[in-house]
Amino acid sequence: MPIVTVDGTTYEYEGEQKLLQFCLNQGIELPHFCYHPAMSIPANCRQCLVKVGMPKEDRESGEVVRDDEGEPEIQYFPQLQASCTVDLRDGMVVKTHRTSEEVDQAQTDNLEFLLTNHPLDCPICDQAGHCPLQIQSYKYGPEGSRFEFRKVHKPKRVKLGPRVTLDAERCINCTRCTRFTDEVSESNQLTIANRGVKNHPITAPGETFDDPYSMNTIDICPVGALTSADFRFKARIWEMSSTPSITTTNATGANCHYWVRDNQVLRITPRQNMDVNEYWLPDEDRLVYNKFNDNRPPGPHIRRDDARTQSNWEQVYARAASLLGSADPERILFLGSAYATVEDNYLLTQLAEAVGADAPRYLPHVEPGAGDDWLITDDKTPNAAGCERLGIRPVDEELVGSQIKGDEYDLLYVLEDDPVSAGLCTADDLADTDVVLHYYNTTNETLSRATAALPAAMVVETVGTYVNQDGRAQRVRPAKEIQGVNRTLMMEMGTNREDEHGTPFDRWHNDENRINCKPSWEMLPKIAQRYGTDMDYPKGPEQIMDEVQSTMAAFEGATYDAMGLKGVPLEDVEAGEAV
Amino acid sequence: MDTNGMPQSPAGDWRSYERMLLPPIQDLHELNVYEEHGGYDRLRRVLEDDEFAPGDVTDAVKASGLTGRGGAGFPTGIKWTFMPEPDDRPRFIGVNADESEPGTFKDRQVMEYNPHLMLEGILLAGYALHIDTAYVYIRGEYTDWIVHLKKQLQKAYEAGYVGEDIMGSGFTMDIVLHKGAGAYICGEETSLMESLEGKRGYPRYKPPFPAQSGIFGSPTTINNAETLAHVPLIVEQGGEAYSNIGAGDMPGPALYGMSGHVKKPGVYEFPTGMPLTDLIHDVCGGMARDKAMKAFVPGGSSTPPIRAENIDGLTMNDESLGEVGSRTGTFCPLVLDEETDMVSFLRRVAHFYQDETCGQCTPCREGTSWLEKILARIDEGEGRMRDIDLLLELCDNMDGGRTICAFADGAVGPVRATVKRFRDEFAAKCQASVHPVSTDVSAGAESAVAATE
Ligand SMILES: Cc1cc2nc3c(=O)[nH]c(=O)nc-3n(C[C@H](O)[C@H](O)[C@H](O)COP(=O)(O)O)c2cc1C
Ligand code: SF4
Ligand code: SF4
Ligand code: FES
Repeated sequence: MPIVTVDGTTYEYEGEQKLLQFCLNQGIELPHFCYHPAMSIPANCRQCLVKVGMPKEDRESGEVVRDDEGEPEIQYFPQLQASCTVDLRDGMVVKTHRTSEEVDQAQTDNLEFLLTNHPLDCPICDQAGHCPLQIQSYKYGPEGSRFEFRKVHKPKRVKLGPRVTLDAERCINCTRCTRFTDEVSESNQLTIANRGVKNHPITAPGETFDDPYSMNTIDICPVGALTSADFRFKARIWEMSSTPSITTTNATGANCHYWVRDNQVLRITPRQNMDVNEYWLPDEDRLVYNKFNDNRPPGPHIRRDDARTQSNWEQVYARAASLLGSADPERILFLGSAYATVEDNYLLTQLAEAVGADAPRYLPHVEPGAGDDWLITDDKTPNAAGCERLGIRPVDEELVGSQIKGDEYDLLYVLEDDPVSAGLCTADDLADTDVVLHYYNTTNETLSRATAALPAAMVVETVGTYVNQDGRAQRVRPAKEIQGVNRTLMMEMGTNREDEHGTPFDRWHNDENRINCKPSWEMLPKIAQRYGTDMDYPKGPEQIMDEVQSTMAAFEGATYDAMGLKGVPLEDVEAGEAV
Repeated sequence: MDTNGMPQSPAGDWRSYERMLLPPIQDLHELNVYEEHGGYDRLRRVLEDDEFAPGDVTDAVKASGLTGRGGAGFPTGIKWTFMPEPDDRPRFIGVNADESEPGTFKDRQVMEYNPHLMLEGILLAGYALHIDTAYVYIRGEYTDWIVHLKKQLQKAYEAGYVGEDIMGSGFTMDIVLHKGAGAYICGEETSLMESLEGKRGYPRYKPPFPAQSGIFGSPTTINNAETLAHVPLIVEQGGEAYSNIGAGDMPGPALYGMSGHVKKPGVYEFPTGMPLTDLIHDVCGGMARDKAMKAFVPGGSSTPPIRAENIDGLTMNDESLGEVGSRTGTFCPLVLDEETDMVSFLRRVAHFYQDETCGQCTPCREGTSWLEKILARIDEGEGRMRDIDLLLELCDNMDGGRTICAFADGAVGPVRATVKRFRDEFAAKCQASVHPVSTDVSAGAESAVAATE
């Protein structure tokens, strides 16, 4: 196998590779700004310079020239090379800043240049704290600056589009953003205007940067030049914790980070998963964070006649159980949910079975034509595939709607959905029907008819599994705390957060903004027990999922360990075959 | 070899030289006049003569020793051999008529007075390299010349010299005029290709070289407009004969675009290798204000200036100018007399590069602007002694492969040379500075200190 030597260590490599990417893959850090693995290589930042040599070959014989000890003699290129552009060649010898003073100095010189016109407004910059320019300046930059002039002034707050605002002074002209619109989203909406130090990205006159993926440019901008119009100046990076999870806006199951301060989700950013969303996240997946903070329920309640009364968990469980007990099982409709996790839907199926009712159905939320063959899908739910694999089929909306209208049901048991706003029935249709409702937001239109209303934990507050449209099972973790004590949630939160070793004075012990809700996998067994059936999962969703994957072929292999942070692909199943 | 007590220069007996690129023929730009004087005969000969294979044209150009007149002086014939064998991709020539190097104005003369020579050269090159289309990229400010060239090209099309099945030979090639939008950087060959493709004029890094992947990713050769106008001359005389004209290291006729403090500035055609003193005194009638000369910038603003006292015996070819750390560039010398403030001169040159850098590479974008700022402050009497070494250090941090294209090298060359060769003038301006700190600081290597001093 061909070899390449970096700083005295020899590595084998295969195929065609660029030196910078190869080094990064080996864990050899090299400073760089413009290079991005998903886009073309412009080699414009000039930060990734290294010294490159090749074994010297005898001109006539073509043989490698060896020194007295039999080692190949290395001939270095006189000029430093931008490692992002260098193709690996067998026998190549590379010196980085670790072994070459020349390289070290060149990298420092380059950072000196980069900083001459940079405003250094880190104290008010959203990017500070995770800024590649800031980090690499501390690591590789000069001690001070020899630049003694007024910096160039460029536009500080340009609304490129509805969601992205540019601070042109911070821009280092890496062209990542313009390359993104040219090569990745292909909207071609951004270009660089002007020359020299006055360069900055901009749209064509009269155009607006409304690319449905525009906010990805904010993530890939190596400085704080592109900011989120929505998130700008809202929070410093070190005030938030970020939790690896997935988005639930549609059936892609894009991997993301939820950024939380004081138990409020402030932003959502992409998390790399080459099998799902690569590096990207559509704007619509990000701007939904308010639903986790706003219009959340104050706690469980019970409706008697037409009066809703605030209740407590024990009472609401008991009420739900008694409703189940008193209704004719054949006149109970269980609605599962493509918004809820596999675990929650699984428990609901079990409950329905224990009660003797028909298997649950779920409400599809599909908007034909809304998808884009990329990360936005027609299906606006994250777990329709999970439901199908559990044997939960879509409801026949026309039939079931008319049955509800005709009062053919005594009880509707709704898991984390909203049949009224979905158009399955009207609130009036439910006048004579009891409803047990697990719900997220007070905007839920079925809520006014709920006999027992149980606030459910949302994706940012729970542990569970979703299956995306490609049959990939992925698990989520809690990003923020809810009221009450739940060991599973605490453990999950504790082990994956960087702020694991905090004190009670730190923000994640903040009692503010904790919602009085519970994950459905905690509520359903409680209700089942009160109903009189034996449903007990002391180890929580992990145990539930273990049971699911060991008893149902459609989920085989989807253990929490296997899913990890990137998920596992499940075996293909024919629709309907899952049961 | 002495003749009449004068040392023989590579330009030989230039006084009796007969012009070939711009011969003194009335209305030569008109197609019929050009035809009367043997125009397009060379193309006809090459196309009609079965003996003349495409490779033979390349061989003749190689034998001629012709070097590029766009500023880098690369041997044209060798460049042509970089073209791969024809495959299913289209093949292009980029004719570089972006002529924007300060002090350079000779391609314009060719386009004005002898446009068909250039077109014939393009067609010959096209035949040699199996080209489908030649794009002539013309500097945007040359509006009149674009109109003029367009008309002449139209006539050549009508006469069947360009387009389908040229002169019934089966050889087909198009020539397309493309107007630049006023950026110096678009004269850099890879930037020119990007611009042609309708993109922002950002140079590409190499490899791949244009011959491997050029215009629209296809095999491409980029040549200067004047360079191609030499090709018919070579085909006519044969490479051997051509190679005997002028200096051996870069033979042939040359267009000397003289400007600055000389009595008769203008474009003059003589063989390469002209003695600098002959150019100034005999060709241009001496110094404009009858002042002593201070500096000689041989070929465009990016060639390093030479001090006047060093020019004796120097001739206009790279071998000779290399001895004093300069080069011929575009063969368009700028002559500066003793009244010239070299700091101001350099400040103006630095301003140009600051303004024209495309700005994609960090060192070039930031460095050109920084250099100008330092030079401005020295020029305005506010310089610090340490600024002088800082200038030189910044130059070292900008060139030598630290950037994508040669612009940075071109921007840094004159700064380094001018500061080194005229250091006394820079020091004098700093010494008188209103900043007392700086006069105390010696101008040693250590003298550049941090801004926080
Ligand atoms: C910054 C820069 C500007 C240039 N401008 C021109 C130009 O205006 N005209 C030109 O012919 N060559 C220009 N060149 C040189 C071209 O890159 C290229 O070398 C030349 O066109 C090749 O033609 P030649 O080999 O016939 O000289 C420039 C080079 C650089 C680095
Ligand atoms: S705005 Fe950011 S991503 Fe775009 S060119 Fe500037 S630094 Fe690069
Ligand atoms: S060296 Fe200068 S002009 Fe050339 S590509 Fe880089 S920034 Fe642009
Ligand atoms: S990463 Fe920017 S030049 Fe290599």
